[in-house]
Amino acid sequence: MEEDRQETPVESGAPDAQRYLDNWRRAEADFENYKKRIEQERAETAKFASTSLILNILPVLDDLDRAFKTVPEKLAHLTWTDGLRLIHRKLQATLEAQGVTEIMALGEKFDTSIHEAVGETTGEDGKVIEEAQRGYRLHGRVIRPAFVIVGNGKQQEKN
Amino acid sequence: MARAVGIDLGTTFSLIATMQGGDPVIIPTSEGERLLPSVVAVTKTGERLVGWLAKRQGVTNPENTIYSIKRLMGRKFKDPSVQLDMKKLPYKITEAPNGDCKVVMGGKEYSPPEISAMILQKLKTDAEAYLGEKVTDAVITVPAYFNDSQRQATKDAGAIAGLNVIRIINEPTASSLAYGLDKKKESIVAVYDLGGGTFDISVLEMGEGTFQVKSTSGDTHLGGDDFDQRITDWLCDEFKKQAGIDLRQDKMALQRVRDAAEKAKRELSTMQQTEISLPYITADASGPKHMNIVLGRSKMEQLVGDLVDKSIGPCRQALKDASLTPAQINEVLLVGGQTRTPLVQTKVAEFFAQEPKKTVNPDEAVALGAAIQGGVLKGEVREVLLLDVTPLTLGIETLGGVATALIPRNTTIPTSKSQVFSTAADSQPSVEVHVIQGERPMAGDNKTLGRFILDGILPAPRGMPQIEVAFDIDANGILSVSAKDKGTGREQKITITASSGLSKEEVQKMTRDAEAHAADDTQKKEAIEARNTADNLVYQAEKVMREHGDKVPADLKQQIEGQIAAVRSAMQGQDTANIRRTVQELTETMQKIGASVYQQQPGAPPPGGQAPPGAGGEGPGPGKGKPDEGTVEGEFREV
Repeated sequence: MEEDRQETPVESGAPDAQRYLDNWRRAEADFENYKKRIEQERAETAKFASTSLILNILPVLDDLDRAFKTVPEKLAHLTWTDGLRLIHRKLQATLEAQGVTEIMALGEKFDTSIHEAVGETTGEDGKVIEEAQRGYRLHGRVIRPAFVIVGNGKQQEKN
Repeated sequence: MARAVGIDLGTTFSLIATMQGGDPVIIPTSEGERLLPSVVAVTKTGERLVGWLAKRQGVTNPENTIYSIKRLMGRKFKDPSVQLDMKKLPYKITEAPNGDCKVVMGGKEYSPPEISAMILQKLKTDAEAYLGEKVTDAVITVPAYFNDSQRQATKDAGAIAGLNVIRIINEPTASSLAYGLDKKKESIVAVYDLGGGTFDISVLEMGEGTFQVKSTSGDTHLGGDDFDQRITDWLCDEFKKQAGIDLRQDKMALQRVRDAAEKAKRELSTMQQTEISLPYITADASGPKHMNIVLGRSKMEQLVGDLVDKSIGPCRQALKDASLTPAQINEVLLVGGQTRTPLVQTKVAEFFAQEPKKTVNPDEAVALGAAIQGGVLKGEVREVLLLDVTPLTLGIETLGGVATALIPRNTTIPTSKSQVFSTAADSQPSVEVHVIQGERPMAGDNKTLGRFILDGILPAPRGMPQIEVAFDIDANGILSVSAKDKGTGREQKITITASSGLSKEEVQKMTRDAEAHAADDTQKKEAIEARNTADNLVYQAEKVMREHGDKVPADLKQQIEGQIAAVRSAMQGQDTANIRRTVQELTETMQKIGASVYQQQPGAPPPGGQAPPGAGGEGPGPGKGKPDEGTVEGEFREV
């Protein structure tokens, strides 16, 4: 008799047990999914950790770009100026090595996924007529769209 | 079961969040941003854009780029506020047959809920991609002042976007949830929400987990954008004074100044001054011109002071409407990015005569709170398993009365932990395991939970026997401690039920005591550690002299014996520095033995090197444990 009773499951406890087991499985599954997500996020974070630093350095590169656009004639041929150009190039190369790439803008079709319009001007409709500030990607993701001026089609009616 | 999301459908930006591992987290957009501009557009080619992409083309397509749609939600065309906004918004607003507003985009009319639905749809799609599962149930927030038709319009927007809106909650309520105020008892909360374009102040009364809005006020056209504009104007004026050129005439230059102004504002939240440096901002006949202006925090506060003051009037009004005085407010919460500006915080603190809370990211508080509400609503369906933590550190006493922690406080239970200890004396027959609870470094200052003795340890030199002590706390907080001699397999254990633990008050007292005695305790612990080090060194030195004494030159032998005696006598006293000094001297001399033994017998192990002197606090106790030989070395090095 004693032994029989030991082997019989406690009936009132069975539904509880099922529910607990179910909750346990759920909790385990939640945890597994959480671990996967954290792992994914860790990889993402590592890849894009430098984003804010790069975004803060880009304005310096912009300023150098602007400076070299307007080198006075009498300075243009000095080797000293060449040295500065090399520094400019070195900064670009350093950023490139970190996965930073330039976004094509001038003459391209205006594309809001990579360009941000800051103005309109006469020119072919929907084309980038002028690049106000270069855009950049980091590992393929747009970290700063190119600021562009878009043609309004005033000289060349579309359609 | 599908999870619920919380959505902050804002005037300028929207956010989406969900519960993950018990905490609310923001879900980034497909562009990798945490915020989504509340902007929708149809391009000239008929393509529909939402969020960042829509915002980026606004300049070229203003009449088909819809922003601030929240201002039109559930409002009649003849509503004075709609008439006012119409003058400022570049897109066309028309009257629907039922008197509601409609907006025109790409030559087609849309109702405000349809536009909002496009924003919600984008948030939903991005969240699904990020979470890898379908998202349907959502909690959406609205300003506390929204009336029934505005709330209904928001609900409609959710339905159009394919969301099952399980609840619409007030933004200040969501913020309160994000701050965890629902866990508190009755209190009166003021939520100060200064965003990009709107200002809201709400007074809530909380009780038993319910929130009741007592009053609301605000300014629908006051926000961070106004702050940026003030700084931009000032920069342009300064530059005009310096260079004689008005940058406002040059769109490209103006864009750069605006960006710099916004950046300067953000920097001045943490710094006292910032330099706005924009080389080659423009050019005239004489060549390129550079902007280089220093802006101090006090100057910025002068520029925006009246904007901050403008927010105080509505605060006064809200209190008046609720028939309350500032002193009756229990908590003040800061929400909205613009509240990061120190001047805003100071003025709010001044008005309410208390420090406002600002621990939750002000841009995200509303969405996070909505996600918490979603979790709560889902929690009603699913059984919630509450996990507890141990309030105090659990451990055992080791040599010299030092408390050695096994399970640190705030560890989530159930949990278990084991560690190997050893004996403190040669041929020690038994160890006593003294289980203690508390934060103090000395065992005697903590609470004793239980003691037991493990005997039958075979005769062996100190440090040889391996005694594994295991702690296990089950989900009910019941602690079992066992000690096992790994050599003989003998085991002893004790079970301590939660009831023999501590009351909440005791826990608080013990935590306070630990903080108060921290310095004192550290000194005591250091003294014991020095003593343990000395004890070990003397043991090692005597062992070496016994085994290798014949190879040691007589003068050195005499010196060592004298130094051993010095250490012993220092150990009788209370001067920790004296113990350390004598230990140091003996250690140095011992190294000479190594050298002399090696010279006589090349290849032999360094006698002094077997167990470098200098025992850590976890040294073996009389009747207490210490790890095996290998571990002994490792621990002894951390002097």
